Amino acid sequence: MSEGSERDSTGVVGIEKAPSRIGENPENRVLRALAESFPRTVSGGTQLRPGVIRARVDRSDLYSACRTLRDDLGFEHLTMISAVDYEDRFEIVYHITSYQSRLLIELISTAPKDDPVVDSVSSVWGGANWQERESYDLMGIVFNSHPKLERILLPKDVLYHPLRKDFRG
Amino acid sequence: MAEMWINMGPQHPMTHGLWNLRVKIDGETIVAAEPEVGYLHRGIEKICEARTYPQIIPIADRLCYGSSLTWSHLYCLTIEDLMDVEVPERAEYIRVMAIEMQRIASHLMWLAAYAGDLGLAVGFTYTMRDREVLVDLLQALTGSRLTYNYPRIGGVAHDLPPDFERDTIRAVQYMEMRLKEYEDLFDGSKIFMMRNVGIGILRKEDGINLGVTGPSLRASGVDYDLRKDMPYSVYPEMDFEVATHEDGDCYARYRVRMDEMWESCRIIRQALQKMPKGRWRIVAPRNAPAGTGLGRVEDPRGEAVMYAVGDGTDRPYRLKIRSPIFVTVSAAPKILVGYKLADVVAIMGGLDMCIGENDR
Repeated sequence: MSEGSERDSTGVVGIEKAPSRIGENPENRVLRALAESFPRTVSGGTQLRPGVIRARVDRSDLYSACRTLRDDLGFEHLTMISAVDYEDRFEIVYHITSYQSRLLIELISTAPKDDPVVDSVSSVWGGANWQERESYDLMGIVFNSHPKLERILLPKDVLYHPLRKDFRG
Repeated sequence: MAEMWINMGPQHPMTHGLWNLRVKIDGETIVAAEPEVGYLHRGIEKICEARTYPQIIPIADRLCYGSSLTWSHLYCLTIEDLMDVEVPERAEYIRVMAIEMQRIASHLMWLAAYAGDLGLAVGFTYTMRDREVLVDLLQALTGSRLTYNYPRIGGVAHDLPPDFERDTIRAVQYMEMRLKEYEDLFDGSKIFMMRNVGIGILRKEDGINLGVTGPSLRASGVDYDLRKDMPYSVYPEMDFEVATHEDGDCYARYRVRMDEMWESCRIIRQALQKMPKGRWRIVAPRNAPAGTGLGRVEDPRGEAVMYAVGDGTDRPYRLKIRSPIFVTVSAAPKILVGYKLADVVAIMGGLDMCIGENDR
């Protein structure tokens, strides 16, 4: 404290406290940056609770949005990929963590029932590789340009995707 | 020399469960590796869609036989987020204390298996014997030894049994004495050190990109622990350090887990001291609203996440489980390539495989 008051008298602190560009909270900053980079395809940015945000992205821009998240916004860890089978659509939910700013983003992309295809992000995060295979195996989501899209938990000759709601065992 | 593929598994002493590691070797050196999993797939995510919310708690226990309490705790956290249920404070302290006991028990079981793998049979018997102290405590608390069915949506099943604080303090004191002895035993063993130091190095960048979490990532120098960085439950009230190591080899992974056990002992003491009186359970609603819930905890093996989708009925519409070891195993080829075939046992053992949660 005493050091700070000394620097106050010299006026150095006044210079250091110049208005910061990152005055707003980090959650809003990420949402704003994402919405500005993809004005047409990213929508519905909300903060769920401190440190957790949610946004929706059209599947046409999913790959580039993920690249932006990793390269520009510091989300370097893909936590989880979950696929949900709703009545009218598939939702592929990406939970992505930023180790630097302690944030979690829930990025939701949708695919129609008759065309469950999205782009693979396994070249962005290596940890996506097996998780995408799992979603393919259990839910039948096809990931474009995945290096090895094979069944992983079920045997290779199984003909169904058991987590779909229309599956009857 | 001719290259060839070798199947290590599904029945192999190294695997600790049912999975297969295909390694391609050139002489003694590994040039490619390919884990194959799925032998223990029980379809738990599908089973959960046909069960009511309280019925899933014992199923969540079955995800991992080594640390079942963490998984039922994570499940309850997720559903509490979905239903917007506030848990009584005493229940939060009981949960934190119990999952830290579970963490020590899980790490001790890992250490026992690891010591057995590396030819240190005395390490196996010591650690398994001392794990029994914690398992007995958890049995007094919950009524069973391995799959506890103890947390509830909105609290825990029962309050602490009589004299539990006294027994816990004794057990923690005993554990701290024994941990010192393990460190002398393992760090002083020349064979153990020769098979660990400098083996299976995982670089920080690779670990982050491949989604490795938990002690294996902290051993590569990433200071990230969900208990500290995205705190849940009453962890913000606790005073503890996050164990990290810079080297990223098997020895670092061993070291991080040993340090975590010391920190868990600290947390258990603090939880007992700070535990308030009061209720330990509230009655949660039967049906969940339409919406999503997310729970994230620091499992003994890494970052465990559940994502629940509710549709207004008493059953989850979808429950997605993120197993930390499933993603860690996918990074195994990166760690294995370049080392000798005999190092596979040390490297894969050091990742702390649990096939129950891996295959779900």
